[in-house]
Amino acid sequence: MASITVRFYSLWRLYLGIDRLCLEVDSLEEALAQLEERFGSRLREQLQVRGIQVAGKMGDYSLVLLSGINLRNLKQTRLREGDILHIFPPAAGG
Amino acid sequence: MVDKDAIRRINECKEICLAPDGKEYPVISLKAVNSIARDKGIAPREIEIAALERDIVPRRYLRNMGTIACEGQAKLLRSAVAVVGAGGLGGTIIELLARQGVGHIIIIDDDCFGEEDLNRQLLSREEDLGEYKAIIAARRVREINSAVTVTPFVEKLTRGNAYKLLKDAQVVVDGLDNLPSRFAVEKACRNLGIPFVYGTIAGFSGQLMTIFPKDRGLSSIYGPPHNLPERGIEVETGNPCATPAMIAAWQVQEVIKIITGIGKPLRNHLLVLDAREGAADKIELSR
Repeated sequence: MASITVRFYSLWRLYLGIDRLCLEVDSLEEALAQLEERFGSRLREQLQVRGIQVAGKMGDYSLVLLSGINLRNLKQTRLREGDILHIFPPAAGG
Repeated sequence: MVDKDAIRRINECKEICLAPDGKEYPVISLKAVNSIARDKGIAPREIEIAALERDIVPRRYLRNMGTIACEGQAKLLRSAVAVVGAGGLGGTIIELLARQGVGHIIIIDDDCFGEEDLNRQLLSREEDLGEYKAIIAARRVREINSAVTVTPFVEKLTRGNAYKLLKDAQVVVDGLDNLPSRFAVEKACRNLGIPFVYGTIAGFSGQLMTIFPKDRGLSSIYGPPHNLPERGIEVETGNPCATPAMIAAWQVQEVIKIITGIGKPLRNHLLVLDAREGAADKIELSR
């Protein structure tokens, strides 16, 4: 069991009305499942109200960094005490 | 070549200016710089650098002295910076680099101004709709600071032309609007050994960081470049007028720090600015 912090940024922070929370979890998969259960449908609804269609779970359409590294780069997903999960919408504008 | 006669004339044209901080600065006017440059057949930038080397401040840079001093200003005037994309971010970046006195600005953009750009792209004007952004940006630079050399390329940066377009730059700045091009520019910069100042925006938020060739970079944020969407959430949120200016201004601060060696560039950390929530977060990146 590890205590980790979850941080939401930008529009996700606005739509979910939360900046940070703490989770006690055994694995990254469990953390993502808990977040999806607590916030997934709310975020999708908020996006849909604004005409934004997203597919999949929150982790599929967000940028998710575990202690500063994108999940897509992670070779092993073991959580350590004090890890931070950063979750934000992908931005590419200029 | 700034010869002895040019130096003599720089010294003759020197005036003393009392700055708001109470200090007296030897200064030289824009008119005097241009007159010496014209008579001697030398670029105004060379006259400005020669003056700064003798602690004589071209008056136009007087308000830069408290932060970067003569030495920093001369470094900027000797430097070349490439801006890839001349839209929302790029337009503000180009305007600020010209005012700050970066000696050579390379502008790369193959797009034209449209009406939907007018809300936020600083260099767009009603009368320039349909004109190439790079060409209009180059004209703006010349209007602001005639000592700056400006090289516009009406081209899309690709793997094939990246070396040709970026090789003269000391720093490359991100004014792009899509992820694949950002990854391409980052890779080119790593190969060329040039720092890349990344920035991007969506809605009231934006983020930026400086990526030196051996630093953590875009893949730490986005993951590997394959299978990435080209555009992000900005497609839906749009970009209000002040968001590109907010991020572009900080990107320019990064350029100034990198070239002058003053301060601490934002390396291996992503700075996320959220104007709507009034939040600024710095995320340390890992490999």
